[in-house]
Amino acid sequence: MNSNFYHTLLLSGVALLLSGCQSLSTKEQSIISTAKGSEKEFLITVTRPNTTLHVIDLQKNEVIRQCDLPAGPGPGTLVMSPDNSIVYILTDHFSEIYGVNIDNCDVVFSTQQSTDNIRVKSIASIAISPDGKEIYTHQNRVKMMSDHYQMLPPQIAVFDTSAGLKVKTSRTFDAPRQIATMDTLESGELVMGGQDIFLMDMHSGKYKVILPSLNDVQPGYSAKDVLTVWQMGKVNNEFYRMYSRAKYNGKEGDLSNAEYIWGHEVVNLKTGEAQAKDFGPLKGVLFTSIRRPGQLNRVYGTLNDLNEYDSITKKLIRSVDLPHTYYCINFSHDGSKIYLSGALDSVAVYDPDTLKKLAHIKLTGDGSMSTSIIFKRKG
Amino acid sequence: MLKKTLFGILLILTTPLLFAESLDKDDSAGAKLIRANCLGCHVPTDKGLSRISEQRKTPEGWEMTINRMRLMHGLKINKGDLAIKGSGLHEIVKYLADNQGLAPSETHGVRYLLEQDLNQIETQFDDEFTTMCARCHSGARVALQRRDAKEWNYLIDFHLGQFPSTEYSLFGRDRNWLDIARNKMVPLLAKKYPFTSEDWSAWVVAQKPELEGKWILSGHMPGKGFFSATMKVTQNKKDYYSLSIEGNYATGEAIKGAGSSVVYTGYDWRGNINFGDISLRQTLAASADGQTLTGRFYQKGQELVGMKITAIKDTANTNTRLLSVFPSHIKKGQTTTLTITGLGLNSASANSLSLPASIMVNKVISQSANRIVVNVTAKDNAPIGYVDIQIGGAILTKQLAIYKQVNALEVVPSYGVSRVGDNGGSTPKTNTLFRAVGFDYGKDGIANTADDINLGYIEAVTWAVVPRDEIAKKDKDVQFAGQMNSNTGLFSPAAAGPNPERYRSTNNAGNLNVVAKLNENDEISGIGRLLVTLQRWNNPPLK
Repeated sequence: MNSNFYHTLLLSGVALLLSGCQSLSTKEQSIISTAKGSEKEFLITVTRPNTTLHVIDLQKNEVIRQCDLPAGPGPGTLVMSPDNSIVYILTDHFSEIYGVNIDNCDVVFSTQQSTDNIRVKSIASIAISPDGKEIYTHQNRVKMMSDHYQMLPPQIAVFDTSAGLKVKTSRTFDAPRQIATMDTLESGELVMGGQDIFLMDMHSGKYKVILPSLNDVQPGYSAKDVLTVWQMGKVNNEFYRMYSRAKYNGKEGDLSNAEYIWGHEVVNLKTGEAQAKDFGPLKGVLFTSIRRPGQLNRVYGTLNDLNEYDSITKKLIRSVDLPHTYYCINFSHDGSKIYLSGALDSVAVYDPDTLKKLAHIKLTGDGSMSTSIIFKRKG
Repeated sequence: MLKKTLFGILLILTTPLLFAESLDKDDSAGAKLIRANCLGCHVPTDKGLSRISEQRKTPEGWEMTINRMRLMHGLKINKGDLAIKGSGLHEIVKYLADNQGLAPSETHGVRYLLEQDLNQIETQFDDEFTTMCARCHSGARVALQRRDAKEWNYLIDFHLGQFPSTEYSLFGRDRNWLDIARNKMVPLLAKKYPFTSEDWSAWVVAQKPELEGKWILSGHMPGKGFFSATMKVTQNKKDYYSLSIEGNYATGEAIKGAGSSVVYTGYDWRGNINFGDISLRQTLAASADGQTLTGRFYQKGQELVGMKITAIKDTANTNTRLLSVFPSHIKKGQTTTLTITGLGLNSASANSLSLPASIMVNKVISQSANRIVVNVTAKDNAPIGYVDIQIGGAILTKQLAIYKQVNALEVVPSYGVSRVGDNGGSTPKTNTLFRAVGFDYGKDGIANTADDINLGYIEAVTWAVVPRDEIAKKDKDVQFAGQMNSNTGLFSPAAAGPNPERYRSTNNAGNLNVVAKLNENDEISGIGRLLVTLQRWNNPPLK
């Protein structure tokens, strides 16, 4: 796979002409090309209005490639192929997935989730099988009859990533409603985040609850509320989502003296082990959070502030104001840098030890409500 | 497109015309357009056409449906204005609202939505209804529809098909939304807002009010104050009217203008009219006897800037009838000029203007059939409280108050929402108008007791906005969120979009209090709430 990457880069000048890829300059190309053998870290995110992919070299903190997708705008939710050569983006108003070769901007895969008179929307739900052969979505379906709509039961849809463009489902399974965040275990089962966290066998379609969430009501606490719709635990090889809940300091259900708490639900993608844990006080709204690679008890969250929590003491350690809202937080694999994105036209780099800003990477377009994905490849 | 049209024509030619006779035979433009455009998808049933004939809605409710058909389902018809004929959309809406509308009684309590009086806090709906239905749109929008259970169920399907995030957003994801919608909300809605009702059956056969003629109306124009006027209504054809208006503001400034209106469902008036250079929309409801129109006029494109209106009809045999008095308060010992508006005020009986003994008439300044302007003085020893005005046999009850002092001001609306806009975006700014209502605490001098006297609008106040909390202060919301007109109470929000000059480059949102201070004593003030927030991207006629 690494040799493929190198080979592709050599050809990228030709590919540029053919694909409409908007590489920023040949200088950046050559910098990547000469990095053969050393592992580099990259970040991908999506901006609108043109649904443009941005590939950022995190050594240089520079955008090295932009690819305009043939897709309508919409929040972009991303997953990466196992060889880190193709990024799959759920976009177009949560409608369709596009697989893009990041080395040449070629669109090598797309779905046709909506067919005939059945319209499908997948609310940020996208996952890829460990071998990269299949893409999974959770489909909210409506059958548009001539004079009325008919809700159809939701389903998990499977797409063959080798089938090219406008790919239809190869198989489907009944699924719970309200699924958003998804990922796959290394063993292939699909983790689905909805009212609870479910695990589906992708051969039989059978699923079970592996971690109750909304249904995990504990005495002295409110039910958990999960706003998270993005899987941001990839650098830790874990499925990760946040919840909030109230701890009653009086009568059950009395919110007047309640304290509000953030917590997270984590599924180890290697072992399938799942656990939920409070990690700190809820003082302001967060949109995403992530555990620090190498120091998993340190949790960082973002929206209008960048906060650091210690999930052992359940305390807020540090908090800094952000120059503007950032919806999406991500980490370098070694835990040394935080990357904030998902709003306006920048990716911001922060030091997790000091919460000081290290760098500012300018994007063209608006990254509102898009995820980021961070991956490593050898040159 | 051609294929679609041919398919529609083929259906018309081959489908037995089984649907209800009214729609089948009706030769109105709307019925013809429905037959020509809707049969490709909607099939004849014993009630008429599937879906279409199984719902009742207001004109705006039908307008939303037809617009959705236009924008999403290929209906080729021009968009239009509810108050202007000829668009195609208008004719379809007219037919449907006339034949499948709501009876007057079925709109009671929720007409504020039709009147676009949107700074309302709905308290009449229970918690579950509010959570399930009225967390994304008003409860009134639901309460202005009538369907049976099957049709309410179709609406559930539509919601999840069109807005799948319903199940994922706050108060959707925390419950089995679909189960509750199907099994609790549908039965509740079918019972509370049923397709068939005695009120509607009675209204269908009721004699509808005749609205042509001369109407006397009064109101309180934003930025200009009290006015009274005469509106002449000329019928061009059934339900379609030309309007002309003449009158005066209390300041003496003349009002002259013209417009047109359409009456839906026999009583529900939608019009456009100009007061000089001010373009206004009208949403009015006629009383069953055709003697009164009530509702609201509001500025085109700025629906929150408007005024409540009552109009009374002047007929040949009208006895004296009183509509309003302005101002609605006189301070003890002070002299003021009252404008009394009504009908038959220059008849012989009108000479017997009767005010309480505590008010001395100094001079009748002018007197006409519809207006008496009179200079009066409230005696020093006048008892405070409401007084009646009597002319001939007509009494205007408790519309005039004698007061000692303004003890308090109440800002209305108590909670207003204004929205940033423009700045290159598709959505204009949404202004919000505030007014101040005065109170004298009465003889006991204590607030909120039975003897409190509502003095009506107090115009001599100065308006300002202040930060509502420490965060708003720190973020300089007052500086960034917009401008309050200190004289008129009209708040104009700032431009849309992230503002690099603001903390966190945030939009020009603001969490503000609106303060009205009495000019004659700035220690007397009233406070309301103003939230300056983001644009509405989806702006249907019924929010």
